[in-house]
This record gives sequence, structure tokens and C-alpha cells, in this order.
Amino acid sequence: MLAAAAGAGAGMLGLGACARVDTAQATDGGNLLQRLRKQGTVRLGIAGEIPYAYIDRNGHLTGEAPTVAGEIFKRLGVPRVQPVPIDFGSLIPGLRSDQFDVIAAGMFINPTRCQQVLFSDPDYQVQEALLVPQGNPKKLRTFDDIARTKATMGVATGGVEIGYAKASGVPTARIDIFNDPLSGLEGLQAGRMDCFTGTSLTLRQLLATGHHHGIELTEPFVPVVGGKKQYGAGGYGFRPGETRLRDAFDGQLHALRSSGELLRLIRPFGFTTTETTTLTAKELCRG
Amino acid sequence: MRTWDWSYTGHVMPDLLRGLLVTVEATALGSLLAFALGLVWALAFRAPTRWVRWPVRAVVEFVRNTPLLVQLFFLFYVLPSAGLTFSPLATGVFGLGLHYSTYTAEVYRAGIDGVPPGQWEAATALSLPRRRVWIAVILPQAIRRVVPALGNYVIAMFKDTPMLAAITVLDMLKQAEEAGAESFRYTEPITVVGLLFVLIAYPTSLLMRALERRLGT
Repeated sequence: MLAAAAGAGAGMLGLGACARVDTAQATDGGNLLQRLRKQGTVRLGIAGEIPYAYIDRNGHLTGEAPTVAGEIFKRLGVPRVQPVPIDFGSLIPGLRSDQFDVIAAGMFINPTRCQQVLFSDPDYQVQEALLVPQGNPKKLRTFDDIARTKATMGVATGGVEIGYAKASGVPTARIDIFNDPLSGLEGLQAGRMDCFTGTSLTLRQLLATGHHHGIELTEPFVPVVGGKKQYGAGGYGFRPGETRLRDAFDGQLHALRSSGELLRLIRPFGFTTTETTTLTAKELCRG
Repeated sequence: MRTWDWSYTGHVMPDLLRGLLVTVEATALGSLLAFALGLVWALAFRAPTRWVRWPVRAVVEFVRNTPLLVQLFFLFYVLPSAGLTFSPLATGVFGLGLHYSTYTAEVYRAGIDGVPPGQWEAATALSLPRRRVWIAVILPQAIRRVVPALGNYVIAMFKDTPMLAAITVLDMLKQAEEAGAESFRYTEPITVVGLLFVLIAYPTSLLMRALERRLGT
């Protein structure tokens, strides 16, 4: 297995992008777990989104996803994690082109993404919410409200909210796409649009970390598209074909779920019992 | 993984062309602003009083020595708190135009300095009014020799338009990124965007070369 050895070597040097191992083609469940055990390090793709996965002020990798993934990989015999920060929209291409081994960015599991990525079961579930100016002058609560009142909205690039909004009838001309949630908040403060959308968790944390006045968070809601409730449940993404690693990962995740340890791990990041979930990747991939 | 999917390319084309329109629009309007403002700066550099020369010099140097991206952020996120809110595209055009005007100012200055002293002397000898000296004698000669250099800045500006994505302008590159983020296929949209850039920038640079030959002195 010359190719695999070269891949492992390059991975250790953090030069994964140069490795030409197309593990997406693995048919026997892949041997990534063995390779990771041998090198002792797993590379996690993160998108710098609080509280899911980010680099803190001291330069350390933290967040809900890296914490859980770190614990699970430790149990699987891979003691170290190495973050690979990338913008959210590039997580899936980055995973597929072997720039890292696992997406640990709290990525939502949905049918489109399931065609490109092998997902673990979700470890949390969140709802959507809106940031609006104090007093919510346009009385916005859901995507339908935005469509009906012809309000303008902001969203972070590559976010699921773009799809929800379009499906609810918000024209693209009224959707401003910001590079990250923080610029969206700045845009809202500058009066550039009527609201900024994101998960209630992201938005709550965003408000908690900055010094922002005159902005409030609306009641969280589950978006409905075509009569179907859209659950925002996030898990970990693996390259298609790496079923063995995914199954081993899921086994540990279920153990954490049932022992209640999962909640203990993610509680420091603002997650509560309302964010725990029993949904499976299978259900979510069906849509 | 297939390397190229034509039907997907066709599917993203309308969005990319819409982005191209925005890109061209921003470049065209930005150029006009850069040409006009640059000339204002260049003339102010030669103002008889230092009370005009120095402040203008300071502003121009400041704008020229700070990154365009930072300026765009400032115009987009900070100005509204002072009550000045423009649409993203208008902000982008103003940012591009202002930034590049500090370069075109130097181009104009070089052009004006390049007009032979004899022309000034002749104008003085004919006791032409100052306005007429500029409009009828100096500027026609000065601008003629700097057209190719100005053209270069148009091309540079064209290639800088993707920066406007930072202030939510859906230019060509941002459209490609959004298409990619939706479908997880970046190869087609990014390649098409690259080709469109070449397809427009190269003929423009050929045109500039032709102009240079025609107007050359």
C-alpha cells in the first residue's frame, strides 16, 4: 500500500492536500482508522464558527464539535487532533480532496450533503432564529414573515438559511450574503438589512461575545419547507466509503449519548437538554 | 469523480453572467469615478496655495497607502453609523473609484509634467486665461499620453472587483462560490469565472496597446 503510506506521511506533515489518495473510492469500508491510529493525529476541518468549532483567543482549538470528536477519537486510540480552519462552504470539497480527515464543524446533516459526505449520527439539534433591531419593528419571526413583509435578510455564506429562505419565497435580491456571522451582525447594526438569520445557538453566542446594543434575538423556530419540518441537526462528516471509521465513531457517540456524558461535554458551549437529539443520520439524509 | 459536467456548467451560467454584469458595472462606474477624481487630485497638487496642496496630498497618500479591502469595510460597516448608508454596489463603486483615483492622480501628474515647458511659455506669451490654458493646451496633450496607463488601472480594477464580495456585492466570483457551496462542485464555476476574466481583460489590454500606438507621440 504505497499510496496509503505516502498519504499518512504527508498527513503527519500537515501536507494532506498533496497526497493523492482517493479514499472516496474505497469500497471495503476503508482503512483510515488504522492509519489515524498509526499516526496518532486526526485532522479536523473546522469553519471558525462559535460555538461549534473555532480557535479561541489563546490559539487553541475548541468548540462543541472538536471537543466531542476529540473525546471519541481518544477512545478510538487516536490521541491528538489537528485543526484545519477553512471557510464553511469549502468544508465538503476540502474533505473530499483530503485536506483533512473529518468535518468537525457542527455541520447540519441534509439530503444534498449526504450525497457527498458520509455522516455520523447527529450529536445536537438546533432551531433557527433571527437577529433583529430592538423591539423587532417588522415583527419578524420566521422565513415566511420575511417573505410576506418583503423584509431584507442577511445570512452567512453557504448557510442552510439561504435554502430555507428561498423555499419560503424570499427573492435572492433581498438576501445579503456575508462572509461570516460577525460581519452579518455588523451589517445589521449598520442598518443594512432588517434581520440576520442563523441557528439560535450561533446567534445567542454572537450576542454574548460582542458589545452590541439595540439588537435582539427572536424566539427559536423549526423552519417548515413544503410542509416538512427542517430539523437542524449536526454531526461529523467522513469521506464516502469510510464506513468502518464512521461506524466505530457512531458506536462511541452512542455510548456518550446514553451515559449522559455528551451533554456534559457540550454544556460549556451553551448547549442544553433542548439541544440534545435522538435523530439519526439515516432519517436526516432522507429529508 | 467526474472532472467536468457540462449540464452543471449550463445550470450555473445564468448566475455567473449576472455576476459578470455586476463586475463590469462596478468596473465601468468605478473607472469613471477614478478618472474624474484623479484629475481633481492632480490639479489640486498644482494649486497655488499650500493650504490646498498639503491636505489633498495627505488624503491621497492615506488612501493610496491603505488596503482597498479595509477601505471597503470602513465604507460599508462604519459610515452607516454616521448616517451615510449606500447600497452595497454604490459603496463598492465609490470604494474602487476613490482608491484607484489616487493612482490615476499620479498618472495625470506625470502626463501634465510631461507637457513641454514651451507649451506653458507659449500659452503665457499669448496671455491666455488660466482656464483656457488648461482646457485647450495642457490637458489635451497630457491626457493623450496617459491613456494607456489609465487603461492599465481599468484592468487592475476589473481584477479587484471580487473584493466587493466582502461587502455582500454578488460579483462573478462570489456567484461562483455560492453555486459551489450549494452543489459542492467548484471546478466548473471557478474555471468559467477565470475564463471570463481572461476573455474580458485580454482584449481590453490589446485595445490599450492599440490606443497607445495610435496616440503615441
